[in-house]
Amino acid sequence: MTHNSDQRSARDAMLSRIRASLAKQRPQLEALAAQAPHAPPPFVHPPAEELAEQFAQELERLQGNVYRCPDDAAALEHIRTLLTKHNATSVIAWEFEQIGLSGLKELLEDLQIVKLDSVALGPDRAERLQQLEPAQICISGADVGIAESGTLMVRGGPQRGRLASLLAPVHIAVLRTSQLVRGLGQALAEIQSRHGPDVFADSSSLTLITGPSRTADIEMTLTHGVHGPREVHVMLIG
Amino acid sequence: MAAQTLPFYERVEEALHNPMLQTALERTTERFVGNRRGALEALNDADALRDQARAIRAKVLSRLDELLSKLAENVERRGGHVCWAADGAAARQYILDLAKARNVKLIVKSKSMASEEIHLNQALEAAGLEVAETDLGEYIIQLAGETPSHIIAPAVHKTREQVAELFTKHLGMPPTDDIQTMVHLAREVLRQRFLRADMGISGVNFGIAESGAVTLVTNEGNGRLTTTTPRIHVAVMGIERVVENLDDLGVLLQVLARSATGQKLSVYTSMVSGPARPGEHDGPEEFHLVLLDNGRSQILGTHYAESLLCIRCGACLNICPVYQSIGGHAYGGVYPGPIGAVLTPLLEPELRDVHYLAQASSLCGACQDVCPVRIAIPELLLRLRADAVKAGKADITERATIAGWKTAMTSPLLYRASGRMASLGTRLIGRKGRIRRLPPPLSAWTRRRDFPTFAPVSFQEMWEQRQRSKS
Repeated sequence: MTHNSDQRSARDAMLSRIRASLAKQRPQLEALAAQAPHAPPPFVHPPAEELAEQFAQELERLQGNVYRCPDDAAALEHIRTLLTKHNATSVIAWEFEQIGLSGLKELLEDLQIVKLDSVALGPDRAERLQQLEPAQICISGADVGIAESGTLMVRGGPQRGRLASLLAPVHIAVLRTSQLVRGLGQALAEIQSRHGPDVFADSSSLTLITGPSRTADIEMTLTHGVHGPREVHVMLIG
Repeated sequence: MAAQTLPFYERVEEALHNPMLQTALERTTERFVGNRRGALEALNDADALRDQARAIRAKVLSRLDELLSKLAENVERRGGHVCWAADGAAARQYILDLAKARNVKLIVKSKSMASEEIHLNQALEAAGLEVAETDLGEYIIQLAGETPSHIIAPAVHKTREQVAELFTKHLGMPPTDDIQTMVHLAREVLRQRFLRADMGISGVNFGIAESGAVTLVTNEGNGRLTTTTPRIHVAVMGIERVVENLDDLGVLLQVLARSATGQKLSVYTSMVSGPARPGEHDGPEEFHLVLLDNGRSQILGTHYAESLLCIRCGACLNICPVYQSIGGHAYGGVYPGPIGAVLTPLLEPELRDVHYLAQASSLCGACQDVCPVRIAIPELLLRLRADAVKAGKADITERATIAGWKTAMTSPLLYRASGRMASLGTRLIGRKGRIRRLPPPLSAWTRRRDFPTFAPVSFQEMWEQRQRSKS
C-alpha cells in the first residue's frame, strides 16, 4: 500500500498538470460548456396518456413481466402463483417493512418458504453468500418506476440488500402506481427531493434496473439471465 | 498478441482476408447502427439532448481539477480510498500492493477499458493472482488469450463454433453450438468465482463528484456482482470520466445506451458509493478509487482536448466504413475505430506504426455525425496527420509525391502538362474507364481496387472552351 503522503504528493502533481493544461484550454472549454443548458429534461419521449400502461408496455418489450394489481391481495395471488410455479423453497428478500406488501410474510409461511438471512458481509461473507446462492427467487421493493423506459429505480440502505434484486434467477419487485414518473430526469429529481441532495448518505447504492439480465456477446444472439435474473416480474399495484 | 507485432498494413490485410471476421463485423455493426438510429429518432429532440451532453462534458473538462478534488474528498468522506495514478505503472502497483496487503487470491473483473489500457490483468497474473473476467465477451477472449475488438462487444469477432471450442477445451463442456447452453454454463462457472472472490475490479462509466459515487453500466449484471459480493471493490477510472452531480449524469445516461446499442437505458445502471453503510446487508467492506491520468492531463492542454469528451459508446466504430472492414484488432491499440485512431497515438505513442492510424479514415465524417457528444473526429485526425508530418514521420514516397504535387499545383503550365500526361497515360493502360493495375509504386493503390482513368478533356479545357463560345 502506498503511503498517504505519497498519495498526497501524487494528487498535487496530477492537479498541477491538469491546471497547467487548463491554463491553455479553459476558455475554449468554458465556451463549449455554455452552449447548452445542463439540467436534464424531465423526460425525453413524447408523453404517453397513461403512465402505468406505458411502463408495462416498455418492460414487456424487454421480456419483463408486469402484473396490474388493483390491490395488495391481487399482488399476493400473483406472487403465490410464481413461487409455486418455480417450486421455491427459499427466497432472498428485503425486510418485509421495506417491501411494504402486507400479507407477504404470511404467504411465505403458508407456503413453507424460508426467507434467508440476507446479510452477506463480515468475516463469514463467503459462507453466507454460498447459503444464499440456491435461492430460486428474490423479492424487493422499488423507489421509483420510470414509465418511458420500463425502469425500476432501487435505492439500497439498511434492510434493503442489493442481492435481493440480483442473485436469484427470478426477481419479483413490488411497485405502486403512485411511484411512477415519466422519465429519468423526473426520477432523479424525485429521489433527491425525497432523500435530500445526498442520496448516498445512508445507502451505498442506487440502481436502475431495466428488464432482465441480458447478453448478446455470442454472435449478437440475445440471451437472458447470464449473470443477473433471467426473469423480472413487477407487481404494479393501484 | 500476434496481430500487434505485424506492421499496420499487414494487420489490415489479414483482417480483410478473414471471412469469419467479415461476417461477424457485418452482423454486429449493421445491427448497432440500425438500433441507434431507431432509438434517437424516437426521442422528442435528440439534437438538443446531444448538445446538452456535449456541454456537460465540456464543463467537466473545464473544471476537471475542481471536480476530481471534490470526487476524491467525497469518496474519502465515505470511508473510501483514492489512488492518484500518474500512469499505468502507478495504478498497477497500487492494486498489486493492495491485493498483497489484504491477502487477496481471486479477483473478479467487470469490463473496463481503462484496465485494458494499463494491461492490468497481465500484471495481476504475473504476481500469481487468479483473475476472472466476468463480462461474457471479455471472458471468452480471456479464455482465447486475446484482446477486445470492440469497446462494448469485445468478442464480436468470434463465431459460436469458436466459442464452443473454447468452452469445451477450458470448461469441459460437451460439444454443442447452442448459445443458450453456453451462456448458462458461463453463468455457473462465473457465479462461483463471484461468490469466492476477495476483490472485484471494475471500470467506471462516470464518477459523480458531489456524491462520491461511481457509475457502472452493464447489461449482464456482472458489474453489480463485481461491486457487491467481494469484500474489496477497486474501481479504475480515467480522470476525464467525472461528472458534477446526478443531474448531469441523467443527461449522459440518456445518450449513452441509445448511442451504444439503441437501448433506452442499459439493463443495469449501478451507482455505488464507498463501503457498505452501517445496517446494510451486503456490499464491499473496502472501496478504492484509482484515478488514472496516463497522459490525459497532457492531452487536455493540446488541440486534442476535445477527444476527452468521449463517453465510450462505440457508435463511431459501428458507423465507420473502415472499422466495418477491418474490425478492432487491426488498429493495434486498446481503443479501436475512429475515436481509437485519435486516442491511441495520444495515449500509446510508443506503439508500432501508431501514426498510420490517422490515415485509416476516409474522413467521411460519419463518426462525427453519430457521436453523442459531437466530437469533431475528422478534424482531430487531420491534426494528427499534420503533426505526424511535422514530426518527420511521413515516409519518403509520401514526401516525394507531395513535393511533386506542390510543384505542379503552383505552376499553371506544369499543372496543365501533367494533367494531359495523366489523361493520356491512364487512358492508354485503362480499359472501359478503369485501370486494374498501376505500375509501382502506384500499384499499392490498385492492389485492392481499380483506379479510374482521367477524363479525355480536363475541366480547365472545358471551362476555357465555354468562355470562348460565350464571347
